[in-house]
Amino acid sequence: MSDGSQTMEPRDEEGGGHEPDALRRKLLKLAGAAVALTLAPGVTVLARDLVVKGSGGRKAPVRYGLLIDANACKTGCDACVRACQDYNGLSHDPGPDNAQWIRKVTITNPKTGFSRSFPVMCQHCENAACVDVCPTGASFRRPDGIVLVDKHRCIGCRYCLMACPYKARSFVARNVSDQKPWAPRGKGTAEGCTMCVERVEAGKLPACVAACERAGHKGMVFGNLHDPKSAIAKRLSEVATTTIRADLGLGPSVHYRGI
Amino acid sequence: MRVRAGLWAVLAVVVALSGVWAAHRGRVAFPVIAMAPGHCILKTAEMRRTHMMLLRAVREDIVRRDARDTRFRLTHCVACHVERTASGRFVPVNAPGQFCASCHAYVGVRLDCFDCHAAVPARKGFTAGTALQAAFRIPRALRGSGGQGPGGQP
Ligand code: SF4
Ligand code: SF4
Repeated sequence: MSDGSQTMEPRDEEGGGHEPDALRRKLLKLAGAAVALTLAPGVTVLARDLVVKGSGGRKAPVRYGLLIDANACKTGCDACVRACQDYNGLSHDPGPDNAQWIRKVTITNPKTGFSRSFPVMCQHCENAACVDVCPTGASFRRPDGIVLVDKHRCIGCRYCLMACPYKARSFVARNVSDQKPWAPRGKGTAEGCTMCVERVEAGKLPACVAACERAGHKGMVFGNLHDPKSAIAKRLSEVATTTIRADLGLGPSVHYRGI
Repeated sequence: MRVRAGLWAVLAVVVALSGVWAAHRGRVAFPVIAMAPGHCILKTAEMRRTHMMLLRAVREDIVRRDARDTRFRLTHCVACHVERTASGRFVPVNAPGQFCASCHAYVGVRLDCFDCHAAVPARKGFTAGTALQAAFRIPRALRGSGGQGPGGQP
């Protein structure tokens, strides 16, 4: 996998600050891990995902992720986008300040004409830029890997909108009414894809994934990346996938096939 | 003598002013405490004093600590205490005179939960019945009597 080779310290699961001492300890621990994982002189395998602080070296039991198959995604279909808007009470209008938690993107290679259309949403990064820059701790990563905005803490500074390379965050600039009970949102706060955290906790699929399935395209798989028996983990082990801008080292939980 | 007359005058003014004050005491309407049918999750007096602390503690648990299985949830409060019109429509709990708004107006505390949170239950899915299921996980000793409430007085 193209994003598995970089060395990054695992994120502190509480999203807390990096005190110099704690950081040094973590780096030392990583150095130890690197030795343990050296396969041959000069060949070191170090996957960012592997170690969770305080877990005794075990993987976090859950890391939710998505696999989006651009080969199955239909150009012109926006079932996932609509479903997200309906479920979370967002506007269908593409107004200049309307929230976009998920959007359809089309890429084309001008040399060959190869073109693919696929949805992009918050990538629920392991080393999330939004979490790094947030001055209040409002942007945070849950132990199950879902990155959220705690709107009780958000001061609306919009640093995260600037920092996120995937343009996954939106800012609510006007008063909102008719919110859904499961998706509180209001003026002056940042927001983004929540992976439908309420549905996920109730054992359901995120709204976009369910809609893609209903549309018969089967372009999205949702599941626990850390469970080898899950559909998503199996699929990831079978087909070639990548993450968008893997070079940035943010470690997205959203994987793509066919781009 | 003059001093005594002066004192009487002062007293008369004080009495007159207190009359004016008394006449104006009722200018903020007493809150309407619409009691939901069945059990509230806490005794009324306790809920009155602690709901803001509970909500603040619980919002941390729900949003940040992945502990959604909690008894105190704003959506549950709304589902039970929202008023339905004769035609079955919900009246937002923060509309003037409604459950949340009337108390908050009386004590002069701005109610900003519903700038972001829905002030009516979802049309489908969550009902007062679901909210009450949660109530049965509350130890009996802590449960409010519900239904009656001490006369709707603050
Ligand atoms: S995609 Fe953007 S908003 Fe989402 S976790 Fe990564 S940096 Fe944060
Ligand atoms: S807008 Fe809110 S969530 Fe984003 S960086 Fe600022 S305080 Fe954090």
